[in-house]
Amino acid sequence: MKKMTLHLRIWRQKDANTPGKLVSYTLNDVTPEMSFLEMLDVLNEHLVAKGEEPVEFDNDCREGICGMCSLVINGIPHGPEHATATCQLHMRHFKDGDTITIEPFRAKPFPVVKDLVVDRSAFDRILAAGGYISVNAGSAPDANSIPIPKEVADEAMDAAACIGCGACVAACPNASASLFVSAKISQLALLPQGQPERKRRALRMIEQMDREGFGDCSNHAECEAVCPKEISIAHIARMRREYMKAMLC
Amino acid sequence: MKLDSKLPSGPLHEKWDRHKADLKLVNPANKRKHTIIVVGTGLAGASAGATLAELGYNVKSFCIQDSPRRAHSIAAQGGINAAKNYQNDGDSIWRLFYDTIKGGDYRSREANVYRLAQLSVQIIDQAVAQGVPFAREYGGLLANRSFGGAQVSRTFYARGQTGQQLLLGAYSSLLRQVDLGRVTLFSRREMLDLVVINGKARGIIVRNLVTGEIERHVADAVVLATGGYGNVYFLSTNAKNSNATAAWRCYKRGAAFANPCFTQIHPTCIPRAGHYQSKLTLMSESLRNDGRVWVPKKKGDKRHPNEIPEDERDYYLERRYPAFGNLVPRDVASRAAKAVCDEGRGVGEFGQAVYLDFADAIRRLGIDVIRDRYGNLFDMYERITGENPYEVPMRIYPAVHYTMGGLWVDYNLMSTIPGLFVLGEANFSDHGANRLGASALMQGLADGYFVIPYTIGDYIAGTELEVVSTDADAFKEAEDGVKQQIDKLLSIKGKKSVLEFHRQLGEIMWDYVGMSRNAEGLKHAIKEIRKLREEFWQNVYIPGDSRNLNKDLEFAGRVADFLELGELMAIDALHRNESCGGHFREEYQTPDGEALRDDKNFAYVAAWEYKGDGKEPELHKEPLEFEYVKPTTRSYK
Amino acid sequence: MPSFMTTVKSSVGKKFLMAITGLAMIIFLIEHLTGNFLLLQSDPVPYNKYAHFLLSFGWLLIVAELILVAFLVIHMISGISVFLKKRQARPVGYHVQGNAGGPSKKTFASTTMIYTGIIIFVFLAIHLKTFKFGPYYETTIDGVVMRDLYKLVSEVFRDPLYVGGYVVAMILLGFHLRHGFWSAFQSLGLYHPRYMPIIYGLGILIAIMLAVGFLGIPIWIYVREVVLKGAI
Repeated sequence: MKKMTLHLRIWRQKDANTPGKLVSYTLNDVTPEMSFLEMLDVLNEHLVAKGEEPVEFDNDCREGICGMCSLVINGIPHGPEHATATCQLHMRHFKDGDTITIEPFRAKPFPVVKDLVVDRSAFDRILAAGGYISVNAGSAPDANSIPIPKEVADEAMDAAACIGCGACVAACPNASASLFVSAKISQLALLPQGQPERKRRALRMIEQMDREGFGDCSNHAECEAVCPKEISIAHIARMRREYMKAMLC
Repeated sequence: MKLDSKLPSGPLHEKWDRHKADLKLVNPANKRKHTIIVVGTGLAGASAGATLAELGYNVKSFCIQDSPRRAHSIAAQGGINAAKNYQNDGDSIWRLFYDTIKGGDYRSREANVYRLAQLSVQIIDQAVAQGVPFAREYGGLLANRSFGGAQVSRTFYARGQTGQQLLLGAYSSLLRQVDLGRVTLFSRREMLDLVVINGKARGIIVRNLVTGEIERHVADAVVLATGGYGNVYFLSTNAKNSNATAAWRCYKRGAAFANPCFTQIHPTCIPRAGHYQSKLTLMSESLRNDGRVWVPKKKGDKRHPNEIPEDERDYYLERRYPAFGNLVPRDVASRAAKAVCDEGRGVGEFGQAVYLDFADAIRRLGIDVIRDRYGNLFDMYERITGENPYEVPMRIYPAVHYTMGGLWVDYNLMSTIPGLFVLGEANFSDHGANRLGASALMQGLADGYFVIPYTIGDYIAGTELEVVSTDADAFKEAEDGVKQQIDKLLSIKGKKSVLEFHRQLGEIMWDYVGMSRNAEGLKHAIKEIRKLREEFWQNVYIPGDSRNLNKDLEFAGRVADFLELGELMAIDALHRNESCGGHFREEYQTPDGEALRDDKNFAYVAAWEYKGDGKEPELHKEPLEFEYVKPTTRSYK
Repeated sequence: MPSFMTTVKSSVGKKFLMAITGLAMIIFLIEHLTGNFLLLQSDPVPYNKYAHFLLSFGWLLIVAELILVAFLVIHMISGISVFLKKRQARPVGYHVQGNAGGPSKKTFASTTMIYTGIIIFVFLAIHLKTFKFGPYYETTIDGVVMRDLYKLVSEVFRDPLYVGGYVVAMILLGFHLRHGFWSAFQSLGLYHPRYMPIIYGLGILIAIMLAVGFLGIPIWIYVREVVLKGAI
């Protein structure tokens, strides 16, 4: 099997309060079939064998759906492949001898926990402010009692596909969370079930988003470009309509 | 230990309603005086946490990830079954019940499964009301697809992301309760012990994975929804953090572990590509609707698949099972793939794969139809393997996917420790020896939304719960135990990484306690696991310390538990002298290689009781009685 | 229900105001440019008459000017606020910057809005000082005494440095509008997959037309007043 040599520059930071720095490593036994995270596993095995502390990075399902993996790879969240989360990025997209810089997602509301691990609980707090439909278990009417046009259901699904990874924030030159927040507001605004709480939801979620300290959206659309689920900035436009309607009407 | 399943009396279809009528209630004003701990935030944990808070209880919700939304339920692709009969194709609660009992190879309780089928209907209503964007027809009504093991179309789905959408629905309900102040979230916390006081589960010990602090949490009841133990095999379709530690520590505190050997191996996964492989990725079972499975007739044929002529290919599923062909159930398809690979006819670099070929389907239906049906799966395959499945046959191989076994629970989902309830994949209850596709989501949500809210109230109302604080001796003893184990792990400073131990355990499990098992292999496995466990405690190396985020330390604790659980799985597999569902014993098969069940001697749930380190666990049997469905042999010929 | 000020200060409200004021100023610029094309004529009369016509609105003009100033101030405050918040929101930056490409609309123009905006503001101050509040020449057309702005303009643009400054400022204005125009629609929530590409293209067109139009006039005057006259 073909082996590649890679030069890695990885952000190392002991904990939230200790300053970090980029540290260089060289790996000689990378194969093109490996996933990016498996490449880091290999690095960690070498580090552990040498008695050094491994690089911490968040990951879980490794099939692109849990949203736990992050990493900014050569300046792009989730790396160079379009519509692909870091865990599904494979080393065949890199060349022998490449230098790869790996940094954590950067935003004030995403403080670094250790090395490449960041705390994204700000997203939970935004959703808790209104990213739901208030329905207690047991009180729902029959599922087919509300017909929803297929096109509407499909568009709601496009927004609902968000995996909450935070790449949109990491990629945004302003560190705005608009794409994430808009995906939920848009999904629930499209569906008839979401109507009763529509205004309250938009107002409260945006208020919480601002309170968390995310930046403002300047419409760079870099978020859409890095989104593993290709969520469109059309949802940001809808979020803005929802907010202004809630304010003005 | 006595197993009392508390099955209600009366006719099957009235059991749950009668039981509900008999359950004691907690006054609304009193509910807020009670705290319930829910560990895990997957479908079962999130739905339970949300629903208990809706009722008025104080809920403390724990998860190991950075957010409750990451739980591995999120990765379920295909769909969720419900006996809605929206398609008018003859579905009913009875039929869903029957399919599930039969699919489980007659190793589950009739009453539980019937209740599951009844509740399936309400789950869909609840999910739709939460805004789950299920697939719809142009008329605006819900769409269904068909799935393995059923002759009706009863599976509801949201593209290939049904688990994600259902989990986000439950998670949003949970967050609503966080906003209302009834749920407190504790993320990045790992449960390391259960605290039992006066014979009742009264709290847990968790480690804060960021700061390393050990915390004590007290409650009136503990709900465990921590998923399955497929990662005992190292390579599985489970998430990397999925583990059995919480369940295993409850087992060591006195909760019986039922049917540990029942594991499901899914036939259509992307095969492993190298030693460094960290996990396996599932490809939806629906691919077998149009793909044809084959291997070369010749051993060690290294030609490119497209250069192997038609008459030198063995379409072995179509050959062995002419009636069902490529659509045989999961366990049958998996074993058949293993058989041809064992003969040396496997393909791919390691000879551990078979072809799933769409060339015929593309010729018959056109590439556009295939793209429309499976486009996203083909893209995923290409992303991972770098091969284009429109031109080259896919390579697939079975992988561990789900564990039917789990902590033993009664009809109320309570374990053998009073006050400890176990939901979802973590319990053993509804799937018998084999789970049907699209049924895991159904069970997790039924347990969380519609069973536990009733049964936990009965427990709280009917139990004298002493005032307990975290200063109690039992908390101290549990915390000390946890700390000692962590210190011990860190002090070994051996030569081998946690990952390497896990990999080795996985190999033993896969080779001897995997798709097909035999007494000799199982005995060998038990010996090997014991040896490995001993080596682990002498030679494991964990870098760093415990006062910080340290994944190697987290994994060390989990692998230590897997090293014990693996042995129990082998012991259970060795004692079950029959083949049923996911458990195939080579000694018990028909002359043409089909599973041979032994209803006379093994129609029971095997519940194992922990008797102390180094001691043999004790087997307790809960007989299974079939009043409504008479066990028959599954045949797919 | 949040207060009016909360809304204005929110991330959405801020951009909403920025978009409205931005679009209004683009409309003003189009009007401004259309009128200024009269400067291309070598006859000063039409331009001076046009300027006089505008001035004849009296207090209405002052109101319009005040509105424009208010819009400018709102536009600037929101722009500066976005800039400051962005710096707060990412105190530690990346060592390597990348561009994801694909549907991204991140461009040189989009990432330099604050800088192009500030330079345009400085330009605007100089521009107003030079012309609106500059030397007052008089001329009489059809018996009416009026300001001879044409003369002032012709004098000012004899200075190649001044012309150069104008050209640079107008190119930067072009960049500002290249992102600003379509972005205003997005900020107002006016996104539609069918029309957005048209708006995006239109933004580029408007940016080029306004920039080339505004920088063409001083160049032309310089050519007319210096190059051609020098040749004679």
